Amino acid sequence: MKRETDYGHPIKAFYNPNDIKDVDYDRDLGDPGAYPYARGYYPEGYRKRVWTQRMTAGLGSSRQTNEVLKRYREMGQRGGMLVICDRTNAMPIDPDHPIGRREVGVLGWPGASLHEFEQLMDDIPLTGQSITLLGSSAMSAIRLAYIVILAEKRGIDLHEIHGSVTEYPFCSTFGQTDAQPLDLNLKLWLDSSEYIVRNKIRMRSGILSQHFQESGGNNAQALAVEMAMLKELCSLLVHERGLDFDDVALLPYELVSVGSRFFEEIAKIRALRRMWAKMARDTFKAKKEKSCHLLISVHTSGRTMTYQQPLNNIARCAIQTLAGAIAGCTAIDNACLDNAHAEPSPLAARMSLNTQHIVADETGVTDVVDPLGGSYFVEYLTNKVEQEAYQIWDKIEEMGGMIAAVERGFVQDMLKESAQEKQREIESGERLIVGVNEMAIPPEEDYQIPIQELKRSDSEEIAREMEEWKKTRDMPLVNQKMAQLYGDAKKEDSYNLMPAVIEAVRAYATAGEIMGVIRKARGLSYDPLQTIECPFELG
Amino acid sequence: MQKRKAIKVLVSVIGLDGHSTGAEVVSKMLMDAGLEVVYLGIYQTPEMIVQAALQEDVDVIGISSHASNYGQIIDLLDMLKNHHLDDIRVICGGTIPTHQVRELKEKGVDEVFLPHSTSTSIVDYIVSNVKRPQTQAFSTDGSQTQKEIASLRQAAH
Repeated sequence: MKRETDYGHPIKAFYNPNDIKDVDYDRDLGDPGAYPYARGYYPEGYRKRVWTQRMTAGLGSSRQTNEVLKRYREMGQRGGMLVICDRTNAMPIDPDHPIGRREVGVLGWPGASLHEFEQLMDDIPLTGQSITLLGSSAMSAIRLAYIVILAEKRGIDLHEIHGSVTEYPFCSTFGQTDAQPLDLNLKLWLDSSEYIVRNKIRMRSGILSQHFQESGGNNAQALAVEMAMLKELCSLLVHERGLDFDDVALLPYELVSVGSRFFEEIAKIRALRRMWAKMARDTFKAKKEKSCHLLISVHTSGRTMTYQQPLNNIARCAIQTLAGAIAGCTAIDNACLDNAHAEPSPLAARMSLNTQHIVADETGVTDVVDPLGGSYFVEYLTNKVEQEAYQIWDKIEEMGGMIAAVERGFVQDMLKESAQEKQREIESGERLIVGVNEMAIPPEEDYQIPIQELKRSDSEEIAREMEEWKKTRDMPLVNQKMAQLYGDAKKEDSYNLMPAVIEAVRAYATAGEIMGVIRKARGLSYDPLQTIECPFELG
Repeated sequence: MQKRKAIKVLVSVIGLDGHSTGAEVVSKMLMDAGLEVVYLGIYQTPEMIVQAALQEDVDVIGISSHASNYGQIIDLLDMLKNHHLDDIRVICGGTIPTHQVRELKEKGVDEVFLPHSTSTSIVDYIVSNVKRPQTQAFSTDGSQTQKEIASLRQAAH
């Protein structure tokens, strides 16, 4: 068994004051609520507001996903909702696309139009809870438009809505490849972010290290990549879009993957808070205290959920949820016991939500902020992972920043190597996984869990419904809005497409149509799969 | 006349799912073991996979399935049968629930590798089960292959 951190640093049998003798409490830690915020942002911690306990939803049609959301509410989902899009919507192409229709609704919500969003949110409030829609980067602008228009239709002040519906342009680089080129994802991200910041909308943008880690990155790399992304994206908003850093600082939110190496995961989050605070103050010269806070949510690691003996995953998820809670975060969405098999069954979802409720209500973790602060081991680990992260981050900056490093393939190569290494460690037995490379049992003896799945006919049904619905739209109006969007998308990169996207969404243009027209304007094929043609007169 | 030196494996993710890490790790495993690998990547339809299998004259097709894409794997098997390519071994891996593993095998998938399958288990399976002998001399006349590819192209559009 390897006695090293996940980034390869040897771990001793015990730690004492000597190991953290250079730590200065006021300079390096601070009380919760004091710079550099290693211990957290709020002196009252969870006593004031417990973390949002949510579960990922998204399977089948919008109506079905709506029912899942209501069921989660009954299961005690508190503080926020989280919906992930399906694979067609991630591109995006529409559910009735000849290739898309084969797997619509399979891994998430097929949110291809405002109509879909209205069905998703039927009898679900836009306010009083955080609204989070996860999905690919390019769709971000369209998801933001859904929020803007539904708020208008419901007569709600947009500023009362909070959550996150936009996502960073690099998610396609980390083992979850998507269809749109980086420059297009980046342009649309800048547009939606600028729109949010200028209009003081309280919707955050996900700049996540979770994808990177779930694809095999280690903790030091994850911190480096996260900070490099934050630096690059915030700089672009400040320098290219002319925004104030203190306004920009309210935009990002990070979703951290929390695995089973309990103490290292807690150290990682503490280090992240400190690294952001230092960058905000020293690099970006933040004038407001709030700018030194980074909104951090936790996703317990789906990667660690084993196929074999899935009930073991309940224990893993509990350990990871506890780690996330101890580290301090604003929300947790934990993975489910059946993650390696299928979409969460109601049993698995209830189990994960209950795990959060047990951690929150039974363990005492909400009584004290940063309860492991001062632990020789945890303070040592926090320093170490930060140190290792800076080394990698420096390399990225030497190359010219995150975009340059991605263009060179540096980040992707680093990720691939780390994924291979993790695989090798498991095959050699250096890292143990119960039920997989030790304590394995024959599959026939394994507990059979209920499986939630979507049938092919369900996908076809969704496709057919969209086909029919599309015909009921005011097509001259849709065409007019598409022509407007096309014209705007042909202008210079800094010309913000949000107004045109909002108008198009309002007229019920679909995600595939909107992205298709934007792609055409930039000289790309209307359809990323090059199977259908643009149906609009764009002039 | 050509002599085949190594077993040739086509590795592909199927359908629209973009989670490519598993397929990439397996590709590397196979290459490290001395097999020849053609990695197609993502956004591969069953038609595209069959076309590539023909063009590359592979011995094995390895499908990474992450998204309940069981239906598309069945389509792939049907297509292979229709093109008389049943002697190509088809193996799958990914997040495939137990009952689907059974059903896939019944429908013609030769083996399903569950998450965390070791490189040894996958490589050993391939080496012991590939139907075409390793050093078979065969004609390089591609005319039959081109006809098959053309008919697939028509079917896809």
